[in-house]
Amino acid sequence: MNKSIWLRELRRRTNSWFIVTMLGAIIIVMPVAYVILSFFQPTSENWQHIKEFLLADYIKGSLLLVGSVGFLSTVIGLTLAWIVAAYEFPLRKQFKWLLILPLAIPPYIAAYTYSTMTSYTGIIQSYFRNHLDYQFTPGTIEIMSMRGAIFVLTLFLYPYVYMITLHYFEKQSSTYIESAKTLGLNGFQLFFRLVLPIARPAIIAGAMLIIFEVLSDYGVASFFGVRTISTAIFQTWFGMYDIDAAMRLAAWLLIIILGVFMLERFLRKRRKYDTNVTQSRPLARKKLRGLSAWATTLVCLATFFAAFLIPFIQLIHWTLKTYEKVWRADFFSLMANSLFAAFIGALIISFFAILAARTINLYPSMSSNLLARVMTSGYAVPGAVVAIGVLALFITLDEKLAFLYPKLLGVESGTLVLSLSIAMLITGYVIRFMAQGFNAVESGYTKIPPSYREASFLLGRGLTYTFWKVEFPLLRGSILIGFALAFLEIMKELPLTLLLRPFNFDTLATRTYQYAIDERIYEAAPSSLLLICLSILSVILILRFEEK
Amino acid sequence: MFVQIQNLSFHYSRKQNPVIDHFSLSIEQGEIVGIVGASGSGKSTLLRLLAGLEDPTGGSIELDGRLIVGDRTYIEAEKRGVGMVFQNYALFPHLTVCENICFGLHKLKRSERKERLGEMLELVQLQEFAKRYPHELSGGQQQRVALARALAPAPSILLMDEPFSNLDTNLKSLIRMEVRDILQKANITCLFVSHDQADVDAICDRTIYIDCATYVGAEKETVSV
Repeated sequence: MNKSIWLRELRRRTNSWFIVTMLGAIIIVMPVAYVILSFFQPTSENWQHIKEFLLADYIKGSLLLVGSVGFLSTVIGLTLAWIVAAYEFPLRKQFKWLLILPLAIPPYIAAYTYSTMTSYTGIIQSYFRNHLDYQFTPGTIEIMSMRGAIFVLTLFLYPYVYMITLHYFEKQSSTYIESAKTLGLNGFQLFFRLVLPIARPAIIAGAMLIIFEVLSDYGVASFFGVRTISTAIFQTWFGMYDIDAAMRLAAWLLIIILGVFMLERFLRKRRKYDTNVTQSRPLARKKLRGLSAWATTLVCLATFFAAFLIPFIQLIHWTLKTYEKVWRADFFSLMANSLFAAFIGALIISFFAILAARTINLYPSMSSNLLARVMTSGYAVPGAVVAIGVLALFITLDEKLAFLYPKLLGVESGTLVLSLSIAMLITGYVIRFMAQGFNAVESGYTKIPPSYREASFLLGRGLTYTFWKVEFPLLRGSILIGFALAFLEIMKELPLTLLLRPFNFDTLATRTYQYAIDERIYEAAPSSLLLICLSILSVILILRFEEK
Repeated sequence: MFVQIQNLSFHYSRKQNPVIDHFSLSIEQGEIVGIVGASGSGKSTLLRLLAGLEDPTGGSIELDGRLIVGDRTYIEAEKRGVGMVFQNYALFPHLTVCENICFGLHKLKRSERKERLGEMLELVQLQEFAKRYPHELSGGQQQRVALARALAPAPSILLMDEPFSNLDTNLKSLIRMEVRDILQKANITCLFVSHDQADVDAICDRTIYIDCATYVGAEKETVSV
């Protein structure tokens, strides 16, 4: 392509849509880039201390947690998905979606619920003591420390693998499985020789989501006193106010995540898994009879009880005891804070999601693919890392703009403005949850044939009119779903909110967590229950979205 | 010449062979020209280049004496005054037949717009269907709406991309006649792409055969029915 043609193209594509999209991408990349840059900064005294005595422990803690939870929840999720997809047993239909519900309980809420239930004064021990006259040796059933963190995270994160593999089994695997059956494979043989290898991409996709969640977790690990890099970031910031050391920890966490990505690439190697069978028939299920049928039902029932119903009922019970005490004006201000932050955050997310999805759809190319990657990278970056990056960026901005503040705002020089405002928190939310909004809008775009837009251009309409009159009406549903998902995620988000909220700004999530670490477990129940109900809503939304 | 395409080239990526390689073609005003070729021969791409939906890697196109693509010039699709009927018709599913047809009439005054809509509905014989949504119409009716919508803003040339490929075989010959009549009534220059010789025979004054990437230049006059 010669130079004048290249220039002609550049001129054409540089329109206002494109410029605003790039601006969004820059906002998303900056904090993470800032964190990475911290590697090249001179180190502080605190960092020397952390590096010498603590870093190895933190990394070990994170890896142990990720490894155990990743493995166990993948096994559980995969097994349940295969049972539900391949066999017919009593209540199968109900379990199909009931087994997704644990996703609606934020793990930090499950953590304090379970640890209280299994404690000396909790319902289990007191029942055995009072009714069966049996005393547990201390330490047998208590859910504490690393063991507890692994238990809770496994039980409440397995649905990621379950959902993705189940979808794969139901929609795409039937031709392979049927042909394997005609070749004489059955039962366990079928599972290990065929199902496991062909479902690998789906399993890995689910496991990756679990790994990101575990690395991002702050609530569970800090509640059980497990040392991970995420919890260390908090301690460094709130304990030592050393942002540089916190950034270095965040950079280490990013390195682990990069390692996970590379491992996934390596595992995938040259294999290609895409099915060419586009409209594969659904998998025919084998009917289980008698004992095996009921045993299967029992396995599903036990999982559902442990991972949803028991903690849920316990929370209802506690709520009934305390709601009068908690249900005060203060509670409504918490609600208002949560709703306000989530609404503004989700609105900004939807705005940039539409812009980015449109740019990618309009000019498909290598660079716009990269843009999509950048826009959605937040889901893989732990909340604490995003938060530290945003914090550092805003503090730097405040330093650079300090000379303007006295003139513009009439405040004393040296006052922090941006880094004490809610803008900082919202920026964090936008970066972390852009993926929710973007993926929904993007998949909405893929369902609109490009010829609609082209027809509009040929009828003499420009980009903006075409967007409002042709694309927007057809995208409305997807935009709404993206908005709702981002909204609900923000409502639940804990670590990012704890780090970035302005002084005295409490949300439902932070207050719940505060009650829990103050051992005011009963008071934490009403807001927990509210958060769970909101999450159930988002699970239903995701399911409806997938069905479409 | 009304349309003058010179040395037009196009490739999707640098690694691949060009889909269109130094292609030249001229069309006279009022002529209906058919392009026949196997799938992948670049015939749809040619239409898209002419419409402004793809950017050529070289060459130029002149339309009605105006340069629309050249090394330094690129007139955007919405400013070319080219009408197009898409293979899947691309009728906006959320707009009625009338709204679809009026979509490109924004330059007209309200009264003129109404008049033009009336003319178009009459041309394609769909007066009773004005308030329907596209999914409430048969394939043949949808095609007529697409044709009316493309013709409504009075484009200088009409491009048709495999307009019959979505229709039942037994309907095809009837609808070919209809389209032929409509095009004649509208008296418009038309470039028509198909993989089916019979389509072209029924409708076009002249046929061009293109064969994988390069223009072989085999040209023959076909007798119009």
